[in-house]
Amino acid sequence: MREWYGKDWGLTVRMVLTAGLLVIVYLAFLTILAQFMEAIPLLMIAAVFLIAQYYFADKLVLWSTGARIVSRDEYPELHTIVERLCNLANLSKPRIAVIDTPIPNAFATGRSQNKAVVAVTTGLLRRLNRDELEGVLGHELTHVRNRDVLVITIASFLSTIAWFVMRFSFYSSLFRGGGRDRSAGATIIIFLVSLLVWFISFLLIRALSRYREFAADRGSAIITGNPSALISALLKISGVMKRVPADDLREVEGMNAFFIIPAISGDTIMSLFSTHPPLEKRIERLSAMERAMEHGTY
Amino acid sequence: MGLIDALLGRVRPAAPKIDTLFSISTACITLEANLDITHAGVAGICFKIVSSTTFDRLRSDLEDLLTLTRRDTATEYRIEKDSFGYLWIVLRDNDFEDLVTTINLISETVIENGFGSALLCSVFKFKNRRGKKIYMIYNYKSGRFYPFIPEGARERDGQYELKLNAVLSTELPLEKDISKWYPMWGIPL
Repeated sequence: MREWYGKDWGLTVRMVLTAGLLVIVYLAFLTILAQFMEAIPLLMIAAVFLIAQYYFADKLVLWSTGARIVSRDEYPELHTIVERLCNLANLSKPRIAVIDTPIPNAFATGRSQNKAVVAVTTGLLRRLNRDELEGVLGHELTHVRNRDVLVITIASFLSTIAWFVMRFSFYSSLFRGGGRDRSAGATIIIFLVSLLVWFISFLLIRALSRYREFAADRGSAIITGNPSALISALLKISGVMKRVPADDLREVEGMNAFFIIPAISGDTIMSLFSTHPPLEKRIERLSAMERAMEHGTY
Repeated sequence: MGLIDALLGRVRPAAPKIDTLFSISTACITLEANLDITHAGVAGICFKIVSSTTFDRLRSDLEDLLTLTRRDTATEYRIEKDSFGYLWIVLRDNDFEDLVTTINLISETVIENGFGSALLCSVFKFKNRRGKKIYMIYNYKSGRFYPFIPEGARERDGQYELKLNAVLSTELPLEKDISKWYPMWGIPL
């Protein structure tokens, strides 16, 4: 029997294309870099940083957001909802954290399914009803299942190096004061190349991040069997996000890549730079899934 | 399949397994022979309510099916919704075989109608000499059972659960990861 949710080949193709482009950009970057400088030590330093970031992702994020791991006794209902969704989708249950803030939001982090943490804010728990909360948790559980922390960390690896090289070559050219011509020329080339690589990979990583969001929305709809509940949750969250004062928002803005709805008012920022797809597009795709459920085809 | 799908961000609902469900019948005999635990003549099946018209149709199909079985096996049924938005079909029959068969029949019907991913668990109720409630919970996605013995409002008798686990380990496919023995408070049976 044909399943109602079908396959979103477009999304898969876009994701593979983006990742492929990223690989090409990185390979070109490494080739050029190797022409001018000893790239190995730099790669190793960056690798240490990234591995550390990857290994401590859960602790780092929990600490910076003030999220607290909560036990079953403290939040029995939240735990039960997560357990049942995990059972339905045959996933390991992540740890659950709560952030004490009125801003409704949620995120997932952790390098593996066993180390994963799904965090929700008290504002989210207060504002959403059970079905909507289920939709949001399904979205975060899909992030965990899709190993999005791993994917984005790997994708960001050389982008981080490019950023390092850019800064490094910029300062070294300042100190040298343009003395020896040949090496100064090389430094400028390295600077420009790494700037370009950093910029292109930044855009590609953001695009990849947006596709991962679509995928997480789809996953949530498939697990919960209720796309409309997630639509309703997204509308509620984004409605509140637009109304809360900017001071509160700035505090959490660095965390956007992890949140279900980014803490910025979407109108001001160009969609190309955004970690999340526009709300209208997310709702449009979820509505298509809802229709597919009723008609039996996608 | 798993890792590639994950990296491509594709979610497939977990496929339900029902071939191991019948092993509860032999386990029932072992429980009675070794531990003086008898079945309570009640079993239930729990699945997530999906918000679609096809699902509503399935629900009325299931009711027709259960009315038919009642004529055959005298299995009484009750349908109720729990506080988490899941649907329970509670069956009552003094013949344990009939209970298992009917649970299996419902599972198959749900799967045939394309809602296999919505199946959460089925629960078989037992009791010991002193009338203690003992539940064996079958998880459709792992195809494994685990014991759940509530004690009071929010406690469970972990020691007794481990004992059952040991006794039944040769009869039943049991969930080895104890962290997945999720409690089910307020089971409506």
